[in-house]
Amino acid sequence: MIKIDVERKVLGENDRVATGLRAALEATGTLSLNFIGSPGAGKTAFLERTLQMLPQSTRAAVLTGDLQTENDAIRLARYGYPVRQINTVGACHLDARMVEKHLGEWDLRGIDLLFIENVGNLVCPTSYDLGEDAKVVVLSVTEGEDKPLKYPGIFRKSELMILNKVDLLPYVPFAPDLARECARRIQPGIEIIDTSSLTGQGFSQWLSWLMARAGKKRSTCSAVPHADAMRFATV
Amino acid sequence: MHEMGIASSILDAVRTELLLYPGYRAARVGVRIGEFAGVDSESLRFCFDAIVKGSALESLELGIVAGKGDELDLSQIEMEEVGA
Repeated sequence: MIKIDVERKVLGENDRVATGLRAALEATGTLSLNFIGSPGAGKTAFLERTLQMLPQSTRAAVLTGDLQTENDAIRLARYGYPVRQINTVGACHLDARMVEKHLGEWDLRGIDLLFIENVGNLVCPTSYDLGEDAKVVVLSVTEGEDKPLKYPGIFRKSELMILNKVDLLPYVPFAPDLARECARRIQPGIEIIDTSSLTGQGFSQWLSWLMARAGKKRSTCSAVPHADAMRFATV
Repeated sequence: MHEMGIASSILDAVRTELLLYPGYRAARVGVRIGEFAGVDSESLRFCFDAIVKGSALESLELGIVAGKGDELDLSQIEMEEVGA
């Protein structure tokens, strides 16, 4: 009997691909965000409103994941930005290889913002690095305030929490302060923005966050910054 | 839910390691899982048993120990000489 110390990550292969993606996105200064939330948290509507409100010069692209159907890609494609649907055909999460494959021949030099909408699920996507700059967790007010405590992994790993559908607050028994407190108990540094994709509430704050992050990413870009980068910084 | 994918990643790693040790078979693989890894041990065991069954790694045993944070690591593989 021999014992071999392997000491490596179980998802080492995913991490290897994600590291490659991260390097590619780093070189082009492309900001990549991985949106994670329950089914029905409003991820797609949130991205639709975001695309609708982006300054015209913004070079954005979207990858959207679902088990089946092209429905989300069709919705998101209405705003004039490149969109690709990833059908996971049963898998409950996106992995780095799916992202790499679906980025395909897209030239990252022409993309400043890459939005990745993960499969609706608060558990499994947490384990898979997609080479993103940040995970953004979307929690809606029709869910429980204690969701961060029930699904701590994703709240711990997210930089930003979108507290979504706040237009419904008058109609649902949801205590936003409690939800925020639960999220901060898991991740004290998490930033939280209250939004409604229907009314647009909170979107100016969200877009400021987004543009600040995009500008920062561009400024650390190893390539020579171009005119678009300057435009980002001043939006 | 994604434990099936995790189980198959573990088996892939064992197969890769076995290539370096001709004449040996894998008896046990150790995995460390932290509480934030998002992996349920029972579910992983269930998936693992389901996919080793009938495969060349049928007798492989899965050992799970508690890890820290979001650790999801392979720790050790125990191998026996074939025919020993």
